[in-house]
Amino acid sequence: MRVEVVLFAHLSSFQPDGLGGRHSRTFDLEDGTTIAGVIASLGLPDQPRVIFVNGRHAPESQVLHEGDRLAIFPPVAGG
Amino acid sequence: MRDIVRLDMATGQVTREPLPEKWARYGGRALTSAIVFSEVPADTDPLGPGNKLVFAPGLLAGTPAPNGGRLSVGAKSPLTGGIKESNSGGQAANALAKLGIAALIVEGKPADPGARWALVLEADGSIRLERADEWAGLENYALADAVKATRPADDRYATITNGPAGEMLMKSAGIAVSDPHGYPNRFAGRGGLGAVMGSKGLKAIIVSDKGLKMVESADKQAMMAAVRTFANALTTHAVSGTALPTYGTNVLANIINEAGGYPTRNFSEGRFEGVEGISGETMREITVQRGGNVKHGCHTGCVIQCSRYYMDKDGHYKTKGPEYESVWSLGADCGIGDMDAVAELDRKCGEVGIDTIEAGVMLGVYMDSGEIAFGDARAALDALDQIGRGTELGRILGDGAEATGIAFGVKNIPVVKHQGLPAYDPRPIQGIGVTYATSTMGADHTAGYTITSNVLAVGGTVDPFGTEGQAALSQGLQIATAMLDTLGFCIFVAFPVLDIPEAFGAIPEMVAAHTGQASDVDALMDLGKETLTYERLFNERAGFTPADDRLPKFFYEEPLSPHGAVFSVSDADLDSVHAFVPETAQRLGIA
Repeated sequence: MRVEVVLFAHLSSFQPDGLGGRHSRTFDLEDGTTIAGVIASLGLPDQPRVIFVNGRHAPESQVLHEGDRLAIFPPVAGG
Repeated sequence: MRDIVRLDMATGQVTREPLPEKWARYGGRALTSAIVFSEVPADTDPLGPGNKLVFAPGLLAGTPAPNGGRLSVGAKSPLTGGIKESNSGGQAANALAKLGIAALIVEGKPADPGARWALVLEADGSIRLERADEWAGLENYALADAVKATRPADDRYATITNGPAGEMLMKSAGIAVSDPHGYPNRFAGRGGLGAVMGSKGLKAIIVSDKGLKMVESADKQAMMAAVRTFANALTTHAVSGTALPTYGTNVLANIINEAGGYPTRNFSEGRFEGVEGISGETMREITVQRGGNVKHGCHTGCVIQCSRYYMDKDGHYKTKGPEYESVWSLGADCGIGDMDAVAELDRKCGEVGIDTIEAGVMLGVYMDSGEIAFGDARAALDALDQIGRGTELGRILGDGAEATGIAFGVKNIPVVKHQGLPAYDPRPIQGIGVTYATSTMGADHTAGYTITSNVLAVGGTVDPFGTEGQAALSQGLQIATAMLDTLGFCIFVAFPVLDIPEAFGAIPEMVAAHTGQASDVDALMDLGKETLTYERLFNERAGFTPADDRLPKFFYEEPLSPHGAVFSVSDADLDSVHAFVPETAQRLGIA
């Protein structure tokens, strides 16, 4: 299945193509892959993070589906 | 010993009196709101002689308390018609505190409305009011230069200045406060307080703290111990220690957009296709490339350092790194996705002296009318320019989003209590809708920043789409924020405070060590409740009813893309937010 993956702030440097930036990349994943699986394959640092699938918060245990957009942020705030 | 200094604009007289014992625990917002509640008739004309403009540094300003140098500015608001506390960074709060001033109250009205005045507070304690007619009509940066020319070269001073919008009594006018470099780029922006300053003929306040020592604490050793604990939490938390100093507040653009709560083109969509052009990451890249400073505090004593300077293409200072709300309002809400264009608009707001949130929301409404097109940055800049010049159109636009929407027949006017909504749509983020609806300030995200738990997973989580728990979340944060505003803390300390118990504990420790009076979390929360109680009762006396604690109807009726959400927190839940007020009023003897 194909999933859009987008990484923000300093996490963007963990995109496999090494190009950084906040544009989404298309990942070809095996059916049943969880968010945790994607995080492990990206080698993201073991720090708190905020995760959205299709604009809604999602736990790392969530299984991804064809066409999903997965967005991962480090802890951020402002206002 | 802290004093109240009064300036009577009718006579030009300055008097100094000790802070009454009943307000000894107060500073910042508690003090401005207690003074406005006690001394300003709720039915007074906000631009008349009965209104008072109050400047109060937080209780811990001038001490080593990290991020404790915020300034509260209070009055009856010409925009909302209710009480206002507008909060600013910059150097003025610490300077006033070092002079022993708990509050500076500007009252009365000068006989000659054409006259301009400057109040000068010297480091030796002398205070004088000077004629400053030659400064009439000056924009804020030229005014800062004009002030500089009057000061000794080795002086150290802060300025509080009013741009032309305030002189023209426009309801979106804000008051500028100088930053550590002397730029007039920090603002007590919201609620039209620049118009109150303008109505009093006051163009500038200059506060010198050259050679003055920091404010002494009752128990210096205990104070420093608590300061270390607090500073450590602020600099190690992922948000206040990493994200904010790296990207500034605009780091929020992408995450709020991802959540579908980034109001676009006058709150008609929840995502902006042009967000990448104006995101915090992009802003950092541009600024670094142009040699701009990307990390400093807005006031001495800030350890978070989320401020930055935005440079033009030639590498010259253009404006402060626009904050998240300013980039959103002048960017996404207007359909503008170009960072340089946003910076140009931000600078113009700073020059003219208008609130960037109100200005952007106004422009979004104006664009929605079809008079100018969404995305037309040049037309937007011209509109702001007309405000500064006081043209017929400019005088309408300068009165803010609601005035503009009414004048141009726009259906969806995003305001509560006549004040424009900030940068989070309340449909997919219901908690912030509770704050917008119920805050004593009118629509104001800082009053109870539920984005923490609704979106950012700071201080726990509350489902942003659900209605459950939103009123309690907003209430708790509104009380805590009023407390932080009273002590003089930047509200960004809330991020580590909500997550790190020792950081929270360090606050009552600092208060106790500084004042010599015992303090604990309950006592601090009482400060917050008392502040909100003065504000709530003032608003009731000014004529506000529960009907004013609601969002505009379209937020309940028109679903927002991409989630199709509408605001659905019940009226009963909204009305529960101020349930503590009668009891607190009883305790204060002001019921």
